[in-house]
Amino acid sequence: MTEEKISILTAKDREKLSIDLYKSTFPAVARYISKMGGAFDEAKDIFQDALVIWYEKTVAGDITLKTNEKAYLTGIAKHLWLKKNKDNCRYTPIDEFDAENKGETQVSDGKLLNFLQTAGKKCMDLLRSFYYDQLPLNDIAEKFGFSGVRSATVQKYKCLEKVRETAKERSLTYEDFTV
Amino acid sequence: MKTSLSETERIEAHLLRLSEPGDKLVFEARLLLEPELRDKMHWQQKTYALVKKYGREELKKEIEAIHQQLFTEQKHISFRQKIIGIFSKE
Repeated sequence: MTEEKISILTAKDREKLSIDLYKSTFPAVARYISKMGGAFDEAKDIFQDALVIWYEKTVAGDITLKTNEKAYLTGIAKHLWLKKNKDNCRYTPIDEFDAENKGETQVSDGKLLNFLQTAGKKCMDLLRSFYYDQLPLNDIAEKFGFSGVRSATVQKYKCLEKVRETAKERSLTYEDFTV
Repeated sequence: MKTSLSETERIEAHLLRLSEPGDKLVFEARLLLEPELRDKMHWQQKTYALVKKYGREELKKEIEAIHQQLFTEQKHISFRQKIIGIFSKE
């Protein structure tokens, strides 16, 4: 099946894929950026952001085994480079590049995330696996040691509620937090 | 707890557009009548955005660790030299 989704189920899978992509594609991206007058650090930032976009599209199933990943990743990197130069300013990180996040405050989100990383890391990791990495529930159950899919689902909703309430409570203490 | 969980589940279905058409209408009517539900929905939406941001930040840390590996470990020396060569030509 050529339409098959690329399977990235563990941190090890992710590491192996990233190393493979770094080795196969970073030289081409570096050559392009160097030719366009960019420096090593710029090539690095752009390539890493392109990898993040590639990953998000892959777990969402937009990229399948049929896609030529090297060409695709190079395309994303070139697009990011051209965008950076068109805006004629410092490189825009992908969070601002992302249309969904427009209008959201970045500073207070950072404070809130710092808080959640220390006070609720287990929940954040569980939610990340489910919504960001889009892992199947049975893999999540196994990864986090739940007895099965049902208990992983219940825990996921409990975490969602916990983070939701924390975000609401903490937001009242951050003056610059936009509702 | 059970009731609140199923409400969280319904908010999720609505936000991620997974609701059946009938449920969607009922939920939208409730949103008009219940400010508390609107408030929960707002913060739940914020939560998904935060999880995405967290996921990205963690992934970036993983990628940076890989970059460090590739640019410091002896076994990747030929790769490293290839990249350095690209930027030293100018």
